Amino acid sequence: MSTFLTSTFMHNVFGGLAQGVVYSLVALSLVIIWQSTHVLNFAQGAMAMFATYIGMTEIDRGIGYWWCVIISVAVGMALGGVTERVLIRPLYGKPEINPIVVMVGFLGIIEALAAAIWTSTTRNIAEPFSQIFYHANGKLVYLSPFIIFQIILAIAIMLAVAALFRFTRLGLQLRASAMAPEVSRLLGIRVSRMLTFGWMLSAGVGAIAAVITASATFGLFPTDMDGIFVAGFIAAAVGGLESPIGAVAGGLLIGLAEQFILSYWSPNVAPLGGIIILVVALMIRPQGLFTKTAGRRV
Amino acid sequence: MDWWRSFFRQESTHSRLLGVAFLTAVTLAITIVLPPVANGDLARGAAVAIVILGLSWLIGWSGQISLGNSAFMAVGAYTAGIWARHHTTTPLILTLVLAMVFGGLAGLIIAIPSTRLRGPYLAGLTLAFAAAVTPIAQNFTSITGGEGGIFMNSLVTPHWFGQLFHGTYASIDANSQWLADLSVVIAGISFFFMANLFHSRSGRAMRLVRDNDVAAELMGVNLSRARSSAFMVAAAYAGVGGALYALLQASVTPETFPLTLSITLLTLMVLGGIGTLSGAVIGGIIYSFSPDLVARVNSLTGVNPTSNLGANMQGIIFGALLILTMLFVPRGIASIKTPIQKLLRTRRPRPKLPDAAEVI
Amino acid sequence: MNRLRRSATLLSVSALALGGITTGLLSSSAGAAGSTPGVTANSITIGASVPLSGIAASYAPVSAAANAVFKWVNAHGGVNGRTIKYIRLDDCYDLASYGLGCTAGASVTTLSQNQVLVAQDHVFATVGSLGTAAEESVESYLKQNGVPQLFVNSGSKAWDNPSQYPDLFGYQTSYNAEGKIFAHFIKTHFAGKTVGFIGQNDDFGANGLLGLTDGGVTVASANALTYNAADAITGSTSDIQADVATLAQDNAQVVVLDSVPGFTTGILEVAHALGYSPTWIISSVGADPTSVNYAGEAGAYTLDYFPSVTDTGDPWIPWVRKVLLADKADFPKITASSILTGNELYGAGFAVAFVEALKAEGKNVTRAGFVAAMKSTTYADPAITPLKYSASAHQGLTGGVIAKIAANGSKAPVEAIPVNGTVFSTGNSASSPLKSTTTLTISPIPAWLKG
Repeated sequence: MSTFLTSTFMHNVFGGLAQGVVYSLVALSLVIIWQSTHVLNFAQGAMAMFATYIGMTEIDRGIGYWWCVIISVAVGMALGGVTERVLIRPLYGKPEINPIVVMVGFLGIIEALAAAIWTSTTRNIAEPFSQIFYHANGKLVYLSPFIIFQIILAIAIMLAVAALFRFTRLGLQLRASAMAPEVSRLLGIRVSRMLTFGWMLSAGVGAIAAVITASATFGLFPTDMDGIFVAGFIAAAVGGLESPIGAVAGGLLIGLAEQFILSYWSPNVAPLGGIIILVVALMIRPQGLFTKTAGRRV
Repeated sequence: MDWWRSFFRQESTHSRLLGVAFLTAVTLAITIVLPPVANGDLARGAAVAIVILGLSWLIGWSGQISLGNSAFMAVGAYTAGIWARHHTTTPLILTLVLAMVFGGLAGLIIAIPSTRLRGPYLAGLTLAFAAAVTPIAQNFTSITGGEGGIFMNSLVTPHWFGQLFHGTYASIDANSQWLADLSVVIAGISFFFMANLFHSRSGRAMRLVRDNDVAAELMGVNLSRARSSAFMVAAAYAGVGGALYALLQASVTPETFPLTLSITLLTLMVLGGIGTLSGAVIGGIIYSFSPDLVARVNSLTGVNPTSNLGANMQGIIFGALLILTMLFVPRGIASIKTPIQKLLRTRRPRPKLPDAAEVI
Repeated sequence: MNRLRRSATLLSVSALALGGITTGLLSSSAGAAGSTPGVTANSITIGASVPLSGIAASYAPVSAAANAVFKWVNAHGGVNGRTIKYIRLDDCYDLASYGLGCTAGASVTTLSQNQVLVAQDHVFATVGSLGTAAEESVESYLKQNGVPQLFVNSGSKAWDNPSQYPDLFGYQTSYNAEGKIFAHFIKTHFAGKTVGFIGQNDDFGANGLLGLTDGGVTVASANALTYNAADAITGSTSDIQADVATLAQDNAQVVVLDSVPGFTTGILEVAHALGYSPTWIISSVGADPTSVNYAGEAGAYTLDYFPSVTDTGDPWIPWVRKVLLADKADFPKITASSILTGNELYGAGFAVAFVEALKAEGKNVTRAGFVAAMKSTTYADPAITPLKYSASAHQGLTGGVIAKIAANGSKAPVEAIPVNGTVFSTGNSASSPLKSTTTLTISPIPAWLKG
């Protein structure tokens, strides 16, 4: 058993899953926004990073790691809500390039602000779980307490979101507002509030992804989430922007693809894993990546 | 005033040629009075303006959102670099034509999966391609020189041009003005071809594809061919601009064309004015002189340029400008009607044609 | 339509004609024809593009120390009646677009800063610019404009190319030479042991490994590991963990590191956490104890071409301290008992060499004359191995001593101490022989510099 666990194959599986859950979280956050407002938030990664910076600077004040996580998520949610109200609300009904460009501008401004406020060098965070890999018979098993925590946290969040949508009234209202806004209004659902809440939820999920990333690397850079956002977006596109489960599966798939490419080909080309998957997915479904929804949005 | 009006309406190839030639000549005159460092900035701005123009055609006229044009710049730049490594003396025109061809090919390849997609999916796919540039350039070392990149010889000032300059710093002044003049002329030629494209049947067909693809198909336009050709043209322009940029820098590395450049190109295009020639020029000018602009803002607001805030001012200003432009002036600076333009407006009622700026 | 054509043609032609005339009128620049840029009767202007902020800002003290030396020389009469003006421009290691604490501005590049130095500040030469890729990106531009590129701060052998770049000179021992010297050390003291290597995947790591191989040490390909130099920007410990773990599993007893200080720290920390402690041999680039700042570095070996900072027998150490103390602007925190760092000795080193060559050239300073003086001067400088340039050798220093990082209790070490005082030197190619001598070069400080 231990030989299996320490094999190169399992090394890649663990590594791929660890990174893949982060992509899944980002993909999920994008799907939430898309499903509720049909806008793609290009600034998602940057907003999440900004919220994490705020949370992580609190560590300097001496409060615990968990409080930082909570603060990061809370700030992320607030940021998401404000963004929807101020930037996106005026653009409903306009051509679809408008919100994309506005969010791209928002991305730039957030990253520059983060660098301006917090010095764009590594910000190290003492993570609560060790990142040193386990040993088995003198060889490494590429799992550490932190990686296990990361995977469990991500799965917990995804399940919580799924439960929210499936089993709660709030989730039902969110889905209704997205699918049939006029009817929902007639039924007494505060649709505009649901839109804002959709953004808040999405931003909160994205913040978790940023918190995990910040804890895992040398620290946090303002541009850290860019690559993760791209991979998360690809995951969402592969899985279908309409399908949360697709997003999660897409994220894991891309994480695994990148890790296997890193191991068997070259570390430099790992980011291509996502692109290869995306192009292959397109070949398999040549009619495009739309899942079955009524009518095509042109 | 009819002839003056029709001159600016660019209603014939001839008037377009003269219009572009005139503006090019004026810009060349400007390069004479600019100091060498500013000429360097202007040269780079001209290269970027070419890329923005291609992007404008793709996004503004064919309605396809692409965030990947920095990848096409990289293709053009690496083509120039690899060619320069094997052929140290090549006429510049040949290098640029090669960059254009390879850029166009890359555009065609990427168009195959892309033209089926819409909106955010298309944006995301092109984003992924732009993100792939750095890893690919880093990895295929034998072709791209890997992490270190390719270093080329600086473009040489021709003897006859250098003779026009005197004084201790003659060679420096000559060199920087030569590069600026070269870039401006190349940009002028590129703009001329694009102006023709705007006013051609392809241009009208492209707008129809953008606004009402069902009608376009009914009229016999092959949708996927039109969309692919838009990609190819944009990529070819980006290839030329990227190659010129790399030649001005005398180097190309995996870090020369990062993902953020694609976003910068989009920003400049939107600020300048999407789908217009003047928009691309304005975008190029903003690119050239943004460090000066930022320094001006820093001194006006009393921010220390070497503080963290001062250093990141450019990102903050650009991001804010992009958001404000999109919310309040979506057609960009080029759409702001100056008094001169208002004077030239015809009083005859004209049929309402959809024009490029109606994408926004 | 004819009127249109005529008018437009007229306008274009006149614009071009105007252009032609004003070209002739405006193009005479200031300065007499034939005079050397950057040189006047009583001053000489030189410049450098260096990382003053950003990811490589830890190297900023190098050029600051050089500046201190120039200020010292100016205060003591200058060189042949000229004061030296040293313009240092921040190029953020040519990575300004990544942000990373760079305060020079996002669109700054090494090339753009060198264009400012050459076309705006009209420098005589660049002196002590830093960075391999950064300086390679400007060598063509500088050559085309006839500007000498002197004392480049980098261990690449790219500066040793007299046939193609006759006005380009390096300063420090190359990575290749260093690798060959390490190889000799390994063969002498660790014969038969498995050797591992972790280095950057660029010129630095590649040439360091090549030097080892040229010097006769075989590193099994599975143990010759690289990390992405770009990871220094957004690093992740999992990459280093994988590398270190591979070496640990293969039981590599000697590990050579060609890494920058930040990554040296990371590698040592990860190895410690894994319970793996081989003999570390760290490149001079990444071994400076002050930069690495890790107690566990004690016991590692490195190559030194400057004296140990606590060597009381070397007159250069107190002299450099005196010079830095006099420069309050660049070194506000230094005191009479401060321990110098390798970066400061390095900067003082090439600055001293520059002024000595300038003095040797005499009153009449030209670029060609200076380059000739560089190659004929015998330098009296802080380095413990001779500094020599010739028509065929532009590298500069060619060797050093093997030194050991000394423990400092539980705190981070502060110095490296020569192991047995043998100074090695060798050329960059595989065939150039390894020479050794047991005398450290300690040149006396010239009287006119002493002050």
